[in-house]
Amino acid sequence: MKAYIFRKLIALPLILVGVSILVFIALRALPGEPARIMAGPEATQEAVDLVTIRLGLDRSLLEQYLTFAGNAIRGDFGDSLRSRLPVIQEIAERVPYTLTLALTAYLLAISIGVPAGMIGAIYHNRWPDYVVMIIAIMGASFANFWLALMAMNFFSVQLGWLPLLGANSWQSYILPSITLAVLPTAVIARMTRSSMIEVLGQDYVRTARAKGLQVRSIYWSHALRNAVIPIVTIVGLNFGSLIGGAVVTETVFNWPGIGRLMVDSVRFRDYPVIQGVTLVAVFGVVLMNFLAEMLIAFLNPRIRFD
Amino acid sequence: MTLAPSTVAPRKRSAMRAALSWCGSHVNIVIGGGLIGLIVFAAIFAPLITSADPYAQNLMATLLPPSWEHPFGTDDNGRDIFARVIYGARISLLEVVLSVGLALIVGTPLGIIAGMAGGVVDTVIMWVMDVLFAFPGIVLAILIVSVLGPNLINLLIAIAIFAVPVYARLSRNLTLGLKRMEFIEAANALGISRPRILTHYILRNSVGPLIVQSTLTAGTVILSAASLSFLGLGAQPPIPEWGAMMSVGRNYLGVNIWMSLFPGLAIMVMVLGFNVLGDGLRDLLDPRK
Amino acid sequence: MNLKLKNRGWLVGGALLASLLASTAVMADTLTVMQIEGPRSMDPGDQSATYTNALLGPMYQGLLIRGSDLKLQPALATEWSVDESGLEWTFKLREGVVFHDGTPFNADAVVYNFERHLNTERGLAASGRIRTFLSKIEKLDDFTVKFTLKSPYPAFLAILTSNSGQQVSPTADAAGNLGAAAVGTGPYRMAEYNSGEYVLQEKFADYWGDKAAGEDEIKWTWSAETSVLNMALQTGDADIINPVPPVFAAQIEANPDLKLSVSDGSAVFWVSLNTENDALSDVRVRQALNFATDKVGLVQAIMSGYGSPANSPLPSVAPGFDPSLNPYPLDLEKAKALLAEAGYADGFTMSVVVQEPEARIGEVLQAMWQQIGVTLDVRRMESGVWSDAAFGDQAKKSAEGTDSVMASWSSGVNGADLQLRPLYHSSSFSPGSANLGFYKSEELDALLDKAAATIDEDARNAIYVDAQKLITEDAPHVLLYVTKDLVATRANVEGVWTIPGGQIRVETATKN
Repeated sequence: MKAYIFRKLIALPLILVGVSILVFIALRALPGEPARIMAGPEATQEAVDLVTIRLGLDRSLLEQYLTFAGNAIRGDFGDSLRSRLPVIQEIAERVPYTLTLALTAYLLAISIGVPAGMIGAIYHNRWPDYVVMIIAIMGASFANFWLALMAMNFFSVQLGWLPLLGANSWQSYILPSITLAVLPTAVIARMTRSSMIEVLGQDYVRTARAKGLQVRSIYWSHALRNAVIPIVTIVGLNFGSLIGGAVVTETVFNWPGIGRLMVDSVRFRDYPVIQGVTLVAVFGVVLMNFLAEMLIAFLNPRIRFD
Repeated sequence: MTLAPSTVAPRKRSAMRAALSWCGSHVNIVIGGGLIGLIVFAAIFAPLITSADPYAQNLMATLLPPSWEHPFGTDDNGRDIFARVIYGARISLLEVVLSVGLALIVGTPLGIIAGMAGGVVDTVIMWVMDVLFAFPGIVLAILIVSVLGPNLINLLIAIAIFAVPVYARLSRNLTLGLKRMEFIEAANALGISRPRILTHYILRNSVGPLIVQSTLTAGTVILSAASLSFLGLGAQPPIPEWGAMMSVGRNYLGVNIWMSLFPGLAIMVMVLGFNVLGDGLRDLLDPRK
Repeated sequence: MNLKLKNRGWLVGGALLASLLASTAVMADTLTVMQIEGPRSMDPGDQSATYTNALLGPMYQGLLIRGSDLKLQPALATEWSVDESGLEWTFKLREGVVFHDGTPFNADAVVYNFERHLNTERGLAASGRIRTFLSKIEKLDDFTVKFTLKSPYPAFLAILTSNSGQQVSPTADAAGNLGAAAVGTGPYRMAEYNSGEYVLQEKFADYWGDKAAGEDEIKWTWSAETSVLNMALQTGDADIINPVPPVFAAQIEANPDLKLSVSDGSAVFWVSLNTENDALSDVRVRQALNFATDKVGLVQAIMSGYGSPANSPLPSVAPGFDPSLNPYPLDLEKAKALLAEAGYADGFTMSVVVQEPEARIGEVLQAMWQQIGVTLDVRRMESGVWSDAAFGDQAKKSAEGTDSVMASWSSGVNGADLQLRPLYHSSSFSPGSANLGFYKSEELDALLDKAAATIDEDARNAIYVDAQKLITEDAPHVLLYVTKDLVATRANVEGVWTIPGGQIRVETATKN
């Protein structure tokens, strides 16, 4: 186990280096010069060239990467080409918004998904099972940008109950976090259902039942405890797709998180910001995966990693 | 002669009853398979289902609500949305087959090789997979599609690439699990060659879980395509791709809901179908049962 | 609505408290503007985007300003004169003006501002145009400056009102953080810039002009989602939206809580045909495509009627615009005949590169041109990728098979030269400038050069009439339409106006 943790800890920086090289190459392969976009269509070629030189984009790729990597190790991702603010500051301003939104969404997803999955397992292959699961999957079957726009139109424009945009009050969390939670809710519900079904079929649960233990206590203490592992796994492993969902959700709701920053930066070819955001997102994903694995190992020492 | 009906009928009835009872205990497969069957049917018989041309524009009849003539209304260029949704089934199925197929073809061998070889090979392959997996899928897709240019094929490549690690991990874990099984150890002891073990034992025993995973990925393919269309990286016009249609339609929300609703519902049917089918198949193919 | 709920809460809490609060609390009135795109820089000289210019408008000023009647008016300069050669311009500067950071505005500041554009090492994004005509700038005394031009330049005064002519604080610019924090001389100063969400502007206490005009604060937000713009206006989250997606215009007009303002715009949409391409090198083929384009239908379909067919390469607001031109009414027979004459009776296949928002125009053209046998391969691209393909040189375009480019060009009301020279002059071949189809006509080059050197406005405009005729005849572009500028406000907002091209001015706008 220790060896495993050690290997993972070594892999983390390697993954970050790999990702940074990948992003770096991908960005330079991306057609569209930042200088041309900044200078606008009316600019002369000379003007575009001068902007390119100012941005340091005329240097060789290797030179650019080494400068970037050297600075990045010291926590300096350079300055945004667009706002001229340090990338680290831009990201630091945005990360809390994405994190709070993601956390709210996860809490929602767990508090709805786990009970829904339990209902599905308890009434396995009976109508409550079908109803709950179909509703859960149906919600996740709609493109979330569309759900978001419909919800905005209904709750904000038609009814006037909730704020439309931005992140100014606790009410403004409601629509974005629900939108973001739809997909993980379905995933968690299904995971809970299938692992509970498995646990409920196991000998010791049958024994407990035979001993006359209260059915409810069986569900909650025995079955759920064992179902926690797959749930944690799925939550940890799906952090990446949650970030992906945040890109769309934040764009629609004008949420000032890193997802929207990413989309804007790609549009303006703001290389330093794209690099910084990707690295931070990847770091978050790897960290979440790692924590999930550690938690699983802690909950169930029998699991072997190799 | 007179006996014939009485001898045939019960057999027929019992076969039917057996089929019905199989369906009764595999509701998931029936519902999921039915929904997907519906889409496949629409894709194959599109010209028979609707006589309208999914590409024919009529700028005098744009954004119409549903009517007898246009069951789903018309879009911003006056095209029949019903025809576009029906013909779009072809595109969507193609998307699913190609991108899931690509992910399977690339991911599975990598996973099996990693699992069989172990050591450095395993570490390197899984390290690359970790890098890919750690990339938030949509970010990776944005980069890939932007570099390669937005069209259907590049979109599928992007979606497939971020599904590759899923299959690699899955097949590696299956391989590792199987490697420890007695029959593989026995085969090893008997001196059966490695490639033969691979194809005869490991691949064959991995098929079930891989099929289940494929149906589950299939649903996300269509949704990812829609998200990428939303970010301006989807299929090229005028292809009736559901995600792209929905994405264009969103710009009219507030004056016309039909343009995005119907492709959205089609996507929903497909995602629902694949997911329910996948759940059913998992129950069916679960070796522990 | 949100506010209403809060008010109800106050009433429950106690009417006394509520009235007390209402009488003592000084509520800052905020005008909220929502645009389709966020700011690209806080430095007006380091970007060239219409929506950014609108956002920076209340904070910066040039020596001259364009009034709501579109005439040039004094701003930071009080008077100016030009010598007979048309090359030396002398400006008297306004006294008693300070920048938001306290730096005094004077001749040194003006010299600094133009020199930073002339300095090639700075590489500012908006310097290109100034460098094409400005030779040098000198300080004559503390409040007098002299510009020396390389050659007579009719659009000179207009350029002084545009983004590159905006005066920035030399202190702030030298400190290097102007890109993130605006410092100008305008009636509003930057209070907050949250790059993910909004820019907040507040009244500048030491403003030299009318301090009372306009609201206490202006808040700028943005969303690329057109339906979100519309919803924000409906809920009152935005007092002003710019631009209004044409499809929502009718709905907004019908709503008594909202106001739609429609004005003549300056963005001309066109398809630039690559004259190096075999088929498109034939003028008859280019004309055929023009004849096959139903411009009226396009205006209806794409702009919901809020536009006008482009019968000239100039928009109607440009000086010299010839309203009598209508060279290519829809005529499929003629188009087919021309194609047949050119040897393409069975049509041919060509590609067009378009950006995401223009993809629909491409789809409509696809159907229109199909009728004369021309198959259009619409290549929709993300904006950065598009600009890379659109501004390629001949070799790149032939390698990538880029047969045409769809784009729009807007030179506002700054003169015909800024519209025609970049698009049609043979010295403007892409990537250097925006002659994207490599169209070359010595006759036109001569006309444009002659017009640019003609100081007399009437004589100049007469030359532009000839140029318009020549361009439409040679048809290097398929001309599509000219947009109207659509801006919508809540019904209680007064005093918003638009510079043709879509740049809104809101610094004197009020909410009642």
